[in-house]
Amino acid sequence: MSLVDKLGNLIRAVKQNGGLFKSIRTFYFTDDLKWGTHVGTDKYGNRYFENNYYFMGRNRWVLFNDAFRLEYDGSQIPPEWHQWMHYTTDKTPIERPPVQHRWMVQHEENKTGSSKDTYYPYSTTRTKIESWMPKNLR
Amino acid sequence: MIRTVPSRLPLSVSSSVVPASSGVWQNGPRRHQGTAAAAAPAKPKKTKFGPLKDEDRIFTNLYGRHDWKLKGAMARGDWYKTKEILLKGHEWILNEVKKSGLRGRGGAGFPSGMKWSFMNKPSDGRPKYLVVNADEGEPGTCKDREIMRHDPHKLLEGCLIAGKAMHARACYIYIRGEFYNEASNLQVAVKEAYDAGLIGKNACGSGYDYDIFVFRGAGAYICGEETALIESLEGKQGKPRLKPPFPADIGLFGCPTTVANVETVAVAPAICRRSGEWFASFGRERNSGTKLFCISGHVNTPVTVEEEMSIPLKELIERHAGGVTGGWDNLLGIIPGGSSVPLLPKSTCETVLMDFDALSAVQSGLGTAAVIVINKQADIIKCIARLLEFYQHESCGQCTPCREGTGWLNKIMWRFVEGNAKPEEIDMIWELSKQIEGHTICALGDAAAWPVQGLVRHYRPAIEERIREFQEKTSAGNSPPQLKRAASV
Amino acid sequence: MIRPRGRMLNTVCSVAHHHFNPSSSLVLPTTTTRSLSLGQPLLQAAKQPPAVVPDNRVELFIDDKRVLCEPGTTVLQAAAMVGVEIPRFCYHDRLSIAGNCRMCLVEVEKSVKPVASCAMPVMKGMRVKTNSVATRKAREGVMEFLLMNHPLDCPICDQAGECDLQDQSMMFGNDRSRFTDIKFEGKRAVEDKNIGPLVKTIMTRCIHCTRCIRFASEVAGVDDLGTTGRGGDMQVGTYVEKLFASELSGNVIDLCPVGALTSKPYAFTARPWEIRKCETVDVMDALGSNIVVNTRGGEVMRVLPRPNEDVNEEWISDKTRFAYDGLKRQRLTLPMLKNAQGVLEPVDWEAALTGIAAKVSRVEGREIAALVGGLCDVESLVVLKDLLNRLGCETLCTEEAFPMNAAGTDVRSNYLLNTKITGVEEADLVILIGTNIRFEAPVLNARIRKAYLHNNLRVAVVGKKTDLHYEYDHVGDTIQALEQLANGEHKLSKDLAKAKKPMIIVGSSSLQDADGAAILANAIVLADKLKSGSSSGSSDHDWKVLNVLHRHAGQVGALDVGYTPGAGKIKELKPRVLYMLGADAGVVTRKDLAADAFVIYQGHHGDAGAEIADAVLPGAAYTEKSATYVNTEGRAQRANVAVTPPGMAREDWKILRALSEFIPGASLPYEKLEDVRHRMADIAPHLLRYGAVEEANYFKQSHALVHGSKRPSHSGRALAPPQTVLEDFYMTDSISRASRTMAKCIQAARHHKTTKYSVS
Repeated sequence: MSLVDKLGNLIRAVKQNGGLFKSIRTFYFTDDLKWGTHVGTDKYGNRYFENNYYFMGRNRWVLFNDAFRLEYDGSQIPPEWHQWMHYTTDKTPIERPPVQHRWMVQHEENKTGSSKDTYYPYSTTRTKIESWMPKNLR
Repeated sequence: MIRTVPSRLPLSVSSSVVPASSGVWQNGPRRHQGTAAAAAPAKPKKTKFGPLKDEDRIFTNLYGRHDWKLKGAMARGDWYKTKEILLKGHEWILNEVKKSGLRGRGGAGFPSGMKWSFMNKPSDGRPKYLVVNADEGEPGTCKDREIMRHDPHKLLEGCLIAGKAMHARACYIYIRGEFYNEASNLQVAVKEAYDAGLIGKNACGSGYDYDIFVFRGAGAYICGEETALIESLEGKQGKPRLKPPFPADIGLFGCPTTVANVETVAVAPAICRRSGEWFASFGRERNSGTKLFCISGHVNTPVTVEEEMSIPLKELIERHAGGVTGGWDNLLGIIPGGSSVPLLPKSTCETVLMDFDALSAVQSGLGTAAVIVINKQADIIKCIARLLEFYQHESCGQCTPCREGTGWLNKIMWRFVEGNAKPEEIDMIWELSKQIEGHTICALGDAAAWPVQGLVRHYRPAIEERIREFQEKTSAGNSPPQLKRAASV
Repeated sequence: MIRPRGRMLNTVCSVAHHHFNPSSSLVLPTTTTRSLSLGQPLLQAAKQPPAVVPDNRVELFIDDKRVLCEPGTTVLQAAAMVGVEIPRFCYHDRLSIAGNCRMCLVEVEKSVKPVASCAMPVMKGMRVKTNSVATRKAREGVMEFLLMNHPLDCPICDQAGECDLQDQSMMFGNDRSRFTDIKFEGKRAVEDKNIGPLVKTIMTRCIHCTRCIRFASEVAGVDDLGTTGRGGDMQVGTYVEKLFASELSGNVIDLCPVGALTSKPYAFTARPWEIRKCETVDVMDALGSNIVVNTRGGEVMRVLPRPNEDVNEEWISDKTRFAYDGLKRQRLTLPMLKNAQGVLEPVDWEAALTGIAAKVSRVEGREIAALVGGLCDVESLVVLKDLLNRLGCETLCTEEAFPMNAAGTDVRSNYLLNTKITGVEEADLVILIGTNIRFEAPVLNARIRKAYLHNNLRVAVVGKKTDLHYEYDHVGDTIQALEQLANGEHKLSKDLAKAKKPMIIVGSSSLQDADGAAILANAIVLADKLKSGSSSGSSDHDWKVLNVLHRHAGQVGALDVGYTPGAGKIKELKPRVLYMLGADAGVVTRKDLAADAFVIYQGHHGDAGAEIADAVLPGAAYTEKSATYVNTEGRAQRANVAVTPPGMAREDWKILRALSEFIPGASLPYEKLEDVRHRMADIAPHLLRYGAVEEANYFKQSHALVHGSKRPSHSGRALAPPQTVLEDFYMTDSISRASRTMAKCIQAARHHKTTKYSVS
């Protein structure tokens, strides 16, 4: 690949990301700057891209909703897009919408490690000390 | 009547040392050198002992052919001039008993004169008691019951004289619960004696106040042990006490007490009347007197008979018991002194004399002189196993070696009966019996250990043979269910 | 059901048994207090310098070491004197000799059989070999027999790690078993007995040492335990399934050399090797029993007694031993303050202290009052008193009352157990006035029983008849009876006056109401009378007669640092701020205070005090602080930190010190605990003389004051101690009230009363 091609890619990437400032921002968030076809957006506002110019494994990617800022996480990708991202299928959920069964639960991101809404397993051991509480709090 | 415990007494001299106390296992009979030397008198006055002449018998109504009540007893000479005997004082009585060489008839063979004189320490205000051990539970022994059933007044008079000798305030006769008729006769006799003024306040008019109580036990072998008997009398569980303190210091209700066998007490009047020298003229030196022998087992006519001490065992059996069933050559072995003494093999039985020293010299004991004859048709291992079962059942459970050990010995013995054992277990059972012997509070532990020791000492080949037979049988294919050895637990 | 006979009749041996107590000599710091039980001539001989002792001692040789000991000593005790430990299971220093385990067999030269050393008195020239081949063989044999029927369930046994059988089998046992069970009959199995909620029985493990039986019948005084059956079928138990109804029942757990009797509440919770031990003192009664608190991971796992010959020997009551689960329930863990709606809510320390300081600074010092409960340590009492004194408050009261007329608490000897606990062993007469000593001080009662059994101690009781586990002369129920006794008009008066060393024990429970003054005054008069009667015959002029038995561990400390007994002053004052330090008896209610009163409660349990409080400050319980307690004898003892206070709770003196920072002008200078203790030493030096009793002797003055003033009148009511039956014993303070185990005990005791096997 020539230097010209690289430069062309860079220019396209900068263009697609909406200018120099926004490109720097994307690079800061993702450590990467790529251009590709925008194949769809999920319910969280994450945008999915594909560019087969990059080799397999790097040719599909996601740019998370800007609202997530640095708090993005792989579990924010819904299962149908997860499928596409991991090459389980080549058809995006837009090309082939997922079947919604009644028993399927809504996808939720994994809150582990976040300060709020973290899942705590309940304890089976009794507390060592049982505190007294005034009548109104009991 | 319990039971061959010479070594528990502090003054037991070498002549009465426990057989085979050396701890070294010896196969076959062996004379204990120390005891043999002490036992053999330097110049025996008599060389032939027995048969006893009729006029020398003390228990003249042993077989109940005459009236046992007061009238009959007086006709036979009981209660004759008892007052005079009492008035001669305790020193005189003690002296006569000492001269007579009377040794306790309950099994231990402790010199009675000495034992009774222990009670003559200056009084500290506590009353003294005589307790008569009529809890005759030793398997094979049936002499005390004959005395109490057919000659109760002999015992009562003995109680009075022995009580006088030790300044006792009262006498308790602890009679075994199973002896219903004996207790009944004895109680009647006590009533008669009270009514006749022979005992009670101013007994026989001698100015001596003396009460006799008959106490029926609940039937436990261990209550024949003197301290367990005292406990039982006090209303507690019949479990032996620790010694020291000995009953002569702290006995019944915390007071000085002497526990004596029925036969010992019952011969005391005769000794006082006919003098100690007369009594000492029977038997060998230090084994003097007459004795009730109870011969049972494989003899033609089992019998309880009064005989001279030191009578040869063979003569005793041939003369009084009609010989061994199937003839003398059919004899396998003899337990000479009740279930708790070791067995004697036939070779020893040929010559041994029936007295304390001679029997302890052949690593057995006179015990209660209950001769149990076993002939060749009997399974000797099973006989001993049955005795072990008895001891397991009668162990009081107080102290560890006897509580745990008797059960263990019993288990092994019944496997020996089948032969379902290893030959090395013969050595093990010997060791186990040694672990029990001498380690317990009372003598029941020793009593349980000795039959096993006697068996292993003299009949080891029989056990080995049994084991071999069993192994042949099982390896031949018709294996019994308990063929496999369980894991050690 | 007959208890195995001990050797009590044998006076020779029981003298020795109590006099030569090898373990007692180890634990005693002082020399004179080893005076136990009988044998006065011996005792006096022992007190004199050895040079003038007429030497009737017996010489013997233990492993060729020469020992001189008094006649009547057993071989085992003689061996202990030269540091030779003989293994044993059934022998125990404080129980009669049973001699049935046979583990202590030793070889004695010239003796045919090995000798049970625990029962064998020493004899002149005896040569004992405790480590010879024959001795070891005997031990190995006994051990083999013991293990033959003992289950090898150490991995699931609570005793594992502190099991005598385990330890000794390591020392003396064989490494493999010869026991073959070819018929698959198994080892002996015994049904477990349910003897109550405290003691768990796994009777298959029993080795029949009969220690528990002897303890129950000799020390605890209940013939509940015994053996049934014989031989291999012998079982230890209660014969019929019933409660082991004793307030000292837990001690059999310590006595059991194997895992047959273990603690039910502690079952399967911890292992001895993972436990951290903290030596401290108990506060469940006023004796200050010495205990070891066992903790693991910041949690109290169990409480064990610590031998102290002067206080508790080696027994503790069931409340001391088992109420520890109350330390984990109903705890105050967060500071709380009432919000604008008048509702308590958790706040942080700063907010709580600021809020309290604002309320306290608003009122004048004389409108403030303090009320302290029975579990307070001296440190916090001193700091509280200093703080409130700085604010101008002088109304500092204890919940427990004490009559203040005549000498009151001004004379220290008026409110102490002056004779000391060990005095019971010397006394020949104890008069118990208005106390059920069996529940108010169970361990002291055990000592009285011991003296009753061995020293012919005579006991007389004024007050309601209760079962004390020994016989006593009942003087009468009422105060009149006491009055008659004091005036020498009672029919027992003459008899009792003969006593050489009399003791009067007045229960503080009887001094709580208006009649207390009359009771104490009469007791003082009676004491003076008995003293003057006895001193003519007795050589001991220092013998003290009057004793007060307190119920609360903190009471003597509070009186020593100058608190006023009883809440009477508070009720008169109707304070606007009340500072309650662990006051949970419910003596003062809202009605006794001003309408707008602000109530601060500082303590460790949410109980009566916290319920009425406007501010709650979480303090530390006795296991959680280094603190000083003064027991009813006046003996200062120190409690140590076994675990940290839970949650936000802090040590009490620190809370008060922090609070002083928030109140202008009240800041206290104490930076460290040592500073507080220096202050304590300024107030009363004996508070830092740990372990020692500061004696007081102002009986003459006290009596003169009583004599001088009019004899207080009384209602003539019967003296009825509040604790009369077993179920009353278990819950007496905020800790035991929070304890589930104690609740179960009460349930069991109530049920026991409905069965036909209950005695009383």
